[in-house]
Order: sequence, then structure tokens, then C-alpha cells
Amino acid sequence: MAIELPETDVVVIGLGASGGVAVLPLARAGLRVIGLEAGTWMDPGRDYRADEVHNNVRALVTTGGKAGSEVPTFRTAVDQVARQQARHPMMNAVGGTSIHYHAQSWRLNPWDFRVRSATLERYGAAYLPAGSTVEDWPLGYDELEPYYDHVEYAVGVSGKAGNLRGTLDPAGNVFEGPRQREYPMPPLRSCDYLDHMLASARAIGLHPYRGPAAINSEPYEGRPGCAFHGYCDRGGCHIRAKSSTDVTTIPKALATGNLSVVDHANVRRIVTDSDGRAVGVRYFRHGEEYLQPARAVLLGTYTYENIRLLLLSRSQGHPDGIGNNRGQLGRHYFGHWDAQAGVSVAALFPRDLNIWYGAIAQGVMVDDWADDNFDHGGLGFIGGATLHAYTEKHPIAAAGMNTFGRVPRRWGSQWKQFIAENAGRWASAYLQTNTFPYANTWCDLDPDVRDPHGDPVLRITSGPKVNEPRAAAHAASKMIEWFRAAGAIEVVGGQGGTGPVLSTHAHGGTRMGLDPSTSVTDAFGFVHDCPNLGVLGGSVMGTAGARNPTQTLQALAWRTADKLVEKLRSA
Amino acid sequence: MSKPESPDPQQAADPSRRQWLRGGLAAGSAALIPLVNSSCSTPPAPAAVSALGAASESVLAAVADRLLPADALGPAASALGAVTYINRSLLEWNQRDLPLLQNGLQALDEAARRRHGRGFVALDAEQQDALLMALEDSTVAEFPEGSTWFNRVHRLVLEGLFSDPWYGGNRDFGGWDLIGYPGAVLASTADMQRLGQRLAPLHTSAYGSEHDGH
Repeated sequence: MAIELPETDVVVIGLGASGGVAVLPLARAGLRVIGLEAGTWMDPGRDYRADEVHNNVRALVTTGGKAGSEVPTFRTAVDQVARQQARHPMMNAVGGTSIHYHAQSWRLNPWDFRVRSATLERYGAAYLPAGSTVEDWPLGYDELEPYYDHVEYAVGVSGKAGNLRGTLDPAGNVFEGPRQREYPMPPLRSCDYLDHMLASARAIGLHPYRGPAAINSEPYEGRPGCAFHGYCDRGGCHIRAKSSTDVTTIPKALATGNLSVVDHANVRRIVTDSDGRAVGVRYFRHGEEYLQPARAVLLGTYTYENIRLLLLSRSQGHPDGIGNNRGQLGRHYFGHWDAQAGVSVAALFPRDLNIWYGAIAQGVMVDDWADDNFDHGGLGFIGGATLHAYTEKHPIAAAGMNTFGRVPRRWGSQWKQFIAENAGRWASAYLQTNTFPYANTWCDLDPDVRDPHGDPVLRITSGPKVNEPRAAAHAASKMIEWFRAAGAIEVVGGQGGTGPVLSTHAHGGTRMGLDPSTSVTDAFGFVHDCPNLGVLGGSVMGTAGARNPTQTLQALAWRTADKLVEKLRSA
Repeated sequence: MSKPESPDPQQAADPSRRQWLRGGLAAGSAALIPLVNSSCSTPPAPAAVSALGAASESVLAAVADRLLPADALGPAASALGAVTYINRSLLEWNQRDLPLLQNGLQALDEAARRRHGRGFVALDAEQQDALLMALEDSTVAEFPEGSTWFNRVHRLVLEGLFSDPWYGGNRDFGGWDLIGYPGAVLASTADMQRLGQRLAPLHTSAYGSEHDGH
């Protein structure tokens, strides 16, 4: 029998990038909040290391635990048996994936919120990608702007405004939507390589800028500026300069006295009553089962677990899972990479670049070939990709470099001489593509593969796409031009991306929308058929921008939390 | 070039910079946290046993030494500790690779005997290379999964050459010196990100001075 605990106002499931932000407005509003987290607090001195084997080869910061036992299965056609992927960085910890992410912290382009209507207006219906289920978001950029601002200041984001209340500044991103005020901190330190890439982009008529990062560029709220040691990727920050929620919004929420963090809480079900409303959650902790009653529940786990937990939480009122009364749960799922849209372009330069140190977010961005920033007439696709030149090169990865056809094979004496000369002379660029939902891509429960509790893991079916690979290939050709302009002597890549894989930028599956027949959650992220259950995270997003999703899902989480405060006060 | 905020650039120029990793970074608020976890400062005991067995391990060493041979640029892979690294990984976190590696090494040795009448270790370099090329291309009939095996061994040798010396490879920082990676640091300055110069080696491990090969 589950141990029944006293009722609280709000239970937040998952204290990662989204849940870790939502607790702050809730706690500040005086609500009693219980945060259930499957992991526990990380210890920067013990857990975060300047060590490629620890972070990248063994993935000891990012994988394991509960998340490691529920990695989705994946297939590219319905006649295939879906296979479980080896691992996925759905980290369980207070702070979640915001601990190990690259911390590129973006606002989406205003176009991302209204792709469908903007495409119809500018190009006509023939330009909507075939098979896509894309629709306009139920909110626009302007409605989210104040929440982007809250997040930038509460977690700490460094960057340079490119559009301050309509005034453009070429030092920032001139394609961004208008913002009400500057970033709280200037961009991260530059370096020779990035200065050179920036100047080279300007020289060919592009609009480069220093990308924003949820990393301190200078001391901020008691945390130091970035030390650029070069082990940001899949590692946590040893000096707390990365603005993960465990060092920013969660401590602030705890300081109100209204948030209780329950670690090692493995949530198995969201419990609903005969009216279909959420009444609490059931979780296991150290072998005991607990029932935590609550007036409202916010579900803020990773996209895959959000969908899975809703599918698993069946009851009389929700026979196919919560939010699935119209068969929409798991539909409109998509990810940057799973659409063949994660493209890398590599370049060899005739001199040492010294990008060993730094951080992936220490970068230069170009938005000219993303979103609807250029005329797509005659190109056969919509959207595009951002181009990102960056630092942080680990030695194993550096030596495993593409040999650009300059040596016959990747071993032996000639190869040894080649990497001795060139391991420090190559760079890669990272292209993120605007990505849309499709009818041929969705999530459901796997019929065979189960987690240690006996619950099925999620299964992803991802069919072929045409628009995103075209958009990515177009952007890759532009990246090649940029590298050439910067003096690269060899450039490779852009040949269609990685192919369909399990995405680390997972979006959709509990899409927000005004129409319950094409969405799971409403304009504020609450489940249509369970209105005191809100969903946080990338799973509510209806399109993927040409950029990392975290700051957007954090802004949405803050907005959902604000709405919940309003709902509970009026109840 | 913007001025670095942290740490103090003077600190980077200090010849005793290796001290950072032992005792702590003097400048900036980075000093507030421990730089090397004390529970990690005891080196793992050298592996007393061979995961593969002596015979297979010698074949692996011969393979690794063709991937990265000894030459004017420096020692071969096994002298740089690549096999030590692989052995330790197979005993600890990488046990799932053991059957693949073991099967492949045996198949390779048998293929050598069938073709040349002696084991892989006893072949000359040209014969070894020819066999490895055939494996890489999966054209060894007895070993159709040759390229899978080759790619995995190639990857593990790379790890052994270029990982932190804490793990037993990259002996005396020879791997990092080869490619010009200066060493693990807890903070870099703008001077360490200059274009067009090869940085001087720091010979620093993330785990402190006991593991820097001296």
C-alpha cells in the first residue's frame, strides 16, 4: 500500500531545465510546492571533471539511473522492430539536463510561432511541407517575450541584443524579435578564432553575432564568470558559471521556504479522480511507494518521459492515458536530429586554431540562412539552419578527425604525421535546422521493451522527411562558403546529416494548441482533458527553431506556472 | 580581443601553473570550490590481470603499434600506454567489448597463420598492414565482421592514446604532446586561445600531479 502524504498545492515532477524554472514563480507566489526529482543534488567538486573519458566516452555525468533504464526504442518504418538506443543524456539530477547542456540560450524567431500562416502568406500552400502537421502556436513571440526576459535575468544569460525595442544593432542578432531590454551580461569572452570567423562572415555579407549563453560572462548573483576550461559539453560546471537550474532558480525557490525537494523520487503514475482531474502522483522512493496528493500537478520531465508517463497513467476517465482522449498524445513529436537535420561541417585550416579550451557556447552565429530570413522562392523548402562556429575541442575527438582525403587511411605513419600537424587545426560548425512535425513521426509505448518496474518504454517511429534535409543541405553549402572565406584549405560535410536517430532536442508529443483534436495541451500548457495538470518542456512545442530549445521551454514553463498561480487563487 | 575576466592572466603565465591542479586556483572565485576531488586523488591500482589474456594482449599490442607506429615523431601506441588503457577499460567499465575484441584478436591471429604460417605478432609490418587493411574493408573471408572489429579497436586505441593519463594511457603525456593538446586545466586565458601558435605543453592531468607521468 502506498503511504499517503499530506496534500500540497502543487507537485512538480522533475526539477530539470523546465520544472526547475517553474518552481520559482510558484514558490514566490506563496504556493506550497513539492518538487519530485528522480536524481539528487550533484557535487561539482566530485562529479564534474576536465576529463573527456568521464564526460564524453563514459557519459558518467549525463546518463544512468532511472533515465538510463527508460531510453526509447526507435524505428524508421512501421514494419521494423524498434531497437532501444544505447543511451541518451536525459539526466536525472536536481538541475537535470541544464547541468550538462551547451547552454546556448535562445529566444525563438517570431516566425517559428506562426510558420503555417506566414508560409501561406508569403509563398502559398504549395510551400507547406508535404505530410507535415505543422500549425501556428496558440501564442506569438510577443506573448512569450516577457517570460524570455524573466528567464534571462533569473537564470543569468549573457549575450548582445540585436533588436532592442525595434532598434537594430549589428553587434547582436538583427534577425531576432524585439526585446524590451539588454541581456543581463555581455557575451562570453571572444578569442582569435571566433574574431576571425566573425570578420570573415561580415566580409561575405553575412550578419554574424556572438551567440547568447546561459553561462556567466562575468560574476552574476554570486556565481563567477566562465573559466573556459573546455569541458562544458556533457559535463557540469566546476565553478557554477553555467546557469543550470540547480544553481539558479531552484535555490531561489528554496529560499522562499515554500519549495520542498524530494530527491530519488521515481514517479510511476499521475493519479486522476472520476472527473478526470489530477489529484496527485504515485512515486517510489528507496523501495517505498508514496501517494502525494496535490491541488495541481506540473509534469516537467524530459520530452520522452512526459509522453510516457501520460500514456501510462490510465484510468476510467483516461482509458488511453491522460491527454489522449482524442488520440493526440505522442503525435506531432519531432527532433532536430531525427529529421536528418543535425548537420556538421568540418574545416581544416593552415594554422593552429587553439580552440582546445573555451566552451561550445563560446561561439559566433549566423542566422542569415535560418527561419524565413531569406527568400525561399524556388528553393523547394521552408526554414533553414543557423550556422555556429565554436570552441572546445577534446583531444580524443580532435585526433579522431576527418582526414579530408589527405592521407590514404586513418592509421599508420602517414596518419600519425597528419594528426600531429592537424589535430589542432580543424574546426567543426554545428547547424540546427528548423524542424516541423509530420504525420509519419510519433511516439507510443513499445510492445516489448520494459523498464525495471515492468512498464513499457517509449517507442519512436520516424518516417522520412524532405523539407528538413533540403533546408539543412542549403545551409551547409553556406557554411562551406563561410569556412572557405575564412581561409579553410579543406571543408567537408553537409551531406544530409546524421540520418534519423534518437534526438537530444526532442520536441512535441504533448503539443499546445487551441483545437483539442490536434493538440494535447491548451495555450498555457494545461492538458485539455485534465485542466489542473500542466505540461512543461519541449514536448509542448509545435515547431523547433533553428536553435537549441531550452530557453524557450523555460519561458513557457514560467508562463504555465504563472497561469497556475492565477488558477489556484481563483479556485 | 576582450579582456579575460577570470582567471587572472598572470596566473596562466606563472611557471608553477601545475600547482593549480594540485592545490587550487589562487585567483578568482574559482578558488571557492575544490579543484581535484580528494576521493579521486588516489590512482587506480595498476591492473594486475590481463582482461584478454597474455596471448591476445600481445596481438592487440601488435595491432595498436601498426595503427600508431614508432617513428621520428615518437613512440608506438603500446609504449604510450594504449594497451594498458584498453585492458583497464575491459576490466572495469567496458566489459561488454570483451567478447568482440577477444573473438577478433583470435580470428586475426588465425587468419595470419592460415595465410603466412605464423601468428600476427610474428608477421612483418607489411604483412600486418595488409591484413589490417583487409579487416578494415571486411574482405577477410573468415572474419566477415572485420570492419566492426577494426573500428572498435581503432576507437579504443584513440582513447588510450589521447585520454587523461589517469586511465593508464597517454603515458608521459606522449599522446597529448603528439597532437599539441597542452593539458587539462580548470581555467584558460585568452592567451591560450591565440591563433597560429602551438601552445607549450602543460603536462597536467585532471587528477593532479601524481598522474602526470613524472
